[in-house]
Amino acid sequence: MVTKLAEKQQSSPSTGGKSATKWIMTLLSSSIGQKFVMGITGLLLCGFLVVHLAGNLLVYVGAEAYNGYADKLHSMMLLPVAETGLFLLLFAHIALAIKLTRDNQQARHISYQEPQSKIEEKPSLFSQTPMGNTSGWMFISGSIILAFLVIHMIDMKLHWNPGVDYSIETPEGVVEAKPYSIMVQVLGSFTAPFYIVGTIVLGFHLSHGFSSAFQSLGLNHPKYTPLIKKLAILFAFVIAAGFASLPIWGFFIH
Amino acid sequence: MSETLDLTLKVWRQPGPDASGRYVEYKLTEISTHMSFLEMLDVLNEQLNEKGEEMIAFDHDCREGICGACSLMINGQAHGPDSGTTTCQLHMRRFKNGDTIVIEPWRARAFPVVRDLVVDRGAFDRIVQEGGFISANTGSAPDANSVPIPAPVQETAMDAAACIGCGACVAACKNASAMLFVSAKVSHLSTLPQGKPERDSRVQGMVAQMDLEGFGNCTNTEECQAACPAEISVSNIARLNREFLRAQLCSKE
Amino acid sequence: MADTANTVFNSRVPDGPMAEKWDRCKQEMKLVNPANKRKKKIIVVGTGLAGASAAASLAELGYQVESFCFQDSPRRAHSIAAQGGINAAKNYPNDGDSVWRLFYDTVKGGDYRSREANVHRLAQVSNNIIDQCTAQGVPFARDYGGLLSNRSFGGAQVSRTFYARGQTGQQLLLGAYSALMRQVGTGRVTLFPRREMLDLVVVDGVARGIIVRNLITGEFEKYSADCVLLCTGGYGNAFYLSTNAKGSNVTAAWRCHKRGAYFANPCYTQIHPTCIPVSGDYQSKLTLMSESLRNDGRVWVPGAQGDQRRGNQIPDTERDYYLERRYPAFGNLVPRDVASRASKERCDAGYGVGSTGQAVFLDFRDAIARDGKHTIEAKYGNLFHMYKKITGEDPYQVPMRIYPAVHYTMGGLWVDYHLQSSIPGLFVLGEANFSDHGANRLGASALMQGLADGYFVAPYTTSNFLGSQNLPEVSTDDEAFTEAMANAQDRNSKILGVQGTRSSDSIHRELGHILWEYCGMSRERQGLESAMGKISDLREEFWSSIKVLGQGEQLNQNLEHAGRLADFLEFGELMVRDALVREESCGGHFREEHQTKDNEALRDDKNFSHVSAWEFTGVGNEPVEHREQLEFIEVPLATRSYK
Repeated sequence: MVTKLAEKQQSSPSTGGKSATKWIMTLLSSSIGQKFVMGITGLLLCGFLVVHLAGNLLVYVGAEAYNGYADKLHSMMLLPVAETGLFLLLFAHIALAIKLTRDNQQARHISYQEPQSKIEEKPSLFSQTPMGNTSGWMFISGSIILAFLVIHMIDMKLHWNPGVDYSIETPEGVVEAKPYSIMVQVLGSFTAPFYIVGTIVLGFHLSHGFSSAFQSLGLNHPKYTPLIKKLAILFAFVIAAGFASLPIWGFFIH
Repeated sequence: MSETLDLTLKVWRQPGPDASGRYVEYKLTEISTHMSFLEMLDVLNEQLNEKGEEMIAFDHDCREGICGACSLMINGQAHGPDSGTTTCQLHMRRFKNGDTIVIEPWRARAFPVVRDLVVDRGAFDRIVQEGGFISANTGSAPDANSVPIPAPVQETAMDAAACIGCGACVAACKNASAMLFVSAKVSHLSTLPQGKPERDSRVQGMVAQMDLEGFGNCTNTEECQAACPAEISVSNIARLNREFLRAQLCSKE
Repeated sequence: MADTANTVFNSRVPDGPMAEKWDRCKQEMKLVNPANKRKKKIIVVGTGLAGASAAASLAELGYQVESFCFQDSPRRAHSIAAQGGINAAKNYPNDGDSVWRLFYDTVKGGDYRSREANVHRLAQVSNNIIDQCTAQGVPFARDYGGLLSNRSFGGAQVSRTFYARGQTGQQLLLGAYSALMRQVGTGRVTLFPRREMLDLVVVDGVARGIIVRNLITGEFEKYSADCVLLCTGGYGNAFYLSTNAKGSNVTAAWRCHKRGAYFANPCYTQIHPTCIPVSGDYQSKLTLMSESLRNDGRVWVPGAQGDQRRGNQIPDTERDYYLERRYPAFGNLVPRDVASRASKERCDAGYGVGSTGQAVFLDFRDAIARDGKHTIEAKYGNLFHMYKKITGEDPYQVPMRIYPAVHYTMGGLWVDYHLQSSIPGLFVLGEANFSDHGANRLGASALMQGLADGYFVAPYTTSNFLGSQNLPEVSTDDEAFTEAMANAQDRNSKILGVQGTRSSDSIHRELGHILWEYCGMSRERQGLESAMGKISDLREEFWSSIKVLGQGEQLNQNLEHAGRLADFLEFGELMVRDALVREESCGGHFREEHQTKDNEALRDDKNFSHVSAWEFTGVGNEPVEHREQLEFIEVPLATRSYK
């Protein structure tokens, strides 16, 4: 370590920069860089959630509006690109979460008997968890959300839910069921409870993740940070309530 | 308010760095509520010595809350239950008669236990060596008033500079992260005009060393801020993140 | 009493007018060429303001430096606890300060028992310290225009004190520490934390190395060098209760003394008037409340003896504002020694307050009524907070209770103008030396002296030493090293071998009681004479009944304490002897036999205008007193008066 700095001081700082790959690797291998990526990917995924929720809420307008929206979306040329991007975001977010969590467990290799929080003013109900803060179980909530996502993919993308008729017989032959119909069926099937659990856990995850992302990106200001923290709770609530309302609605229309 | 307390202590005893440790229970009677927490341990140590048991090792020095030597996880809280307080300033009037108090060392891979409650915090020194300074050789300084520093900037720097280097932030963080410590030093120096010339190399060097020492990552839990006896704010961590990203993305290094 | 050897002291003060002495001295100094600097090794013991600043500055010059401290990190040295501030003759407030005035105030404040030339140099370099620290990023308080702010401190008539909230010592130390860590990073300083210096190695009459114990492994280690800088602080913990850190000790200085370094004026101890009083027998240390509190607080005791009412229930007519009564000109702002003695006088007379009767009130009622609670909170909020934390009482509601406590020691190893002790090659810096504060130190001057020595004096004078000597190579296999190491090891095993019944804490407390009782705020012949016997008896008891468990080959804090205590027990006797021999009252040294009719200190300039520098002749043997005559040319002798 000593020699490291000594060498650094000897080499003139102006002689060219590092190669592009090297500085990116330094950034991505550093603890702060990894948190930065977590924050960015998290915020982008939040953006997706907003769009996704807005689209889904069209079910309340009616089958036509919803089907229209779905058809338009599926006919977009760029959809596969967007989906790939989304998948990559999610993959990065999850892979890093696994790595960081493992690092963190190693950093505190022996745990305390009964750790107690010293935070006096808890920002919200969400924080009344073992270590006093939602971040204590970001990994757990994340894992639950991932499990839910798998179910969601099975239902909506792979069309493997045995309780759903993905195709209907019409006079013209067997055609694919309309998105609205699939959705209503899924929400009435045995996987519906997972949608409630999954989206509520998602809310918890967001209530910490949203404001935390700003902190990880270095965006902190005495004027705005308290606002962002409140906004995060509101955002989490809206997203969770919005999505969770769908299976509840589904339950009642059946 | 009762003037004396009877207490049960559960103290982590570990004979040496490589030895295995365990909790040992001790009973104490008639502890004055005016005692400081460390004075209570002094009393216990005197009794142990009398009985022929080795004294409990714990770090302490100034006993007025500024040197940062004292540590101790008291009932799962760094420096005990009071906010803005070091263990040496914690007084027994904070406890109730009949209480059981669990005393553990700071636990982090980067702070190995030396003996009993004493840990090695040398990692902090090594982090500072990698940039926690302003390079100003003795004798080279211009007049102190040659660069005016707005009072609010000075205050921000002072808030961060108040860090006593005790390691409570690492101890309280569920990830044993040293971000609050590092961010306090980076904030102190990088907000001042004198510290600007080295701001990139400072943050890069210190963060690299922090990672090398095996501290965990920051998950913005803010337990560090709550445990910090010098009440260093987590806004410094945001500044550290900003400084680091700025240095990585904008500097030529 | 002790023989006075007629040694002619060479304090190496340069000739010429006072203001030119330091420059002249620097001009005449030998230099070391850069290539040779790399080959010279310097040991610096202690990492407080003096040690850290010296180690960093010497490394910047290119020397190989080895830095030692007993703490786990150099940043924890006790300089960190200084609250008030640091003086400098910048005269930024334009209130008439100058190098000369700072020099004058320091000599006068020291009650004319310091060496003029050293004090003048201190005042001269004071300004450079502020520049240096600011450049390092020390966040001194600033005005809204962004320029440095000053306050008046410790009764000074000018505002010359720079400060960083109530944590000036911390900020200055962290500045020096960061400079030191930078040099550790470059590899020019090697850091040895958790090492306790247990002996000095003298080869052919020159200090060439040290013996330390690694406090983690218990191993003894030998280090050689071309010279040794001792920056190990004061000996206030001889009293057991003091505002010093628990680890502060006299061991390193005392072991050097035993190797031939003269110990000067050990009886000069500063008792700080505003500390939180002792609350019980378990008390382990005393906490200082900054002197700045006396700027707004009024000191008083009840007019009637044994009044047990709470402070805020006693009406004005039944209060005795004794400082204002006795010293109308300075009132509550009289120097530390005067304020401390006055509170002791009241408490001894039975007017003290609190459960022990050993406390006086420091009351902010009037200041709060005058300036509002908010203003007082802005000025002293952190101190009030600390007071409440420790005592459980709210000083906004009831007056603080305070009592004097041992705080600083002006005595220390004798050094010449170059800060070299009577052993060539052993330099002594900061509180560990005796040179600049005379018999009483002014507020905000300790930080100034530590940094002056470390940043601006020692780097020159040690270079001069190294440049003018042709020192032979020395190896740690040398006989002197082997002997010193065996000596240190032997002492440790002896302590472990006693296996007696008494703990080091109990013996240390007893020593503290003896010193506080007989050699504390006021001293008199009979008491001092009986203290000599008591200390020597206690020392014998130590060696026959100390109980230290565990082994030497591990972290053993009890063993560390016992070792330090053993040295305090030897040192304590010297302190008492020095107090006995000094038949006058000056500064922190008050002899009851020597006072005026109104109980003020009575100095004897004719017979005692000298430094007593003691030479060690063996434990329990009478030491030899050497005297360095002090001359007051620039600041003519006068009686201090604060009436």
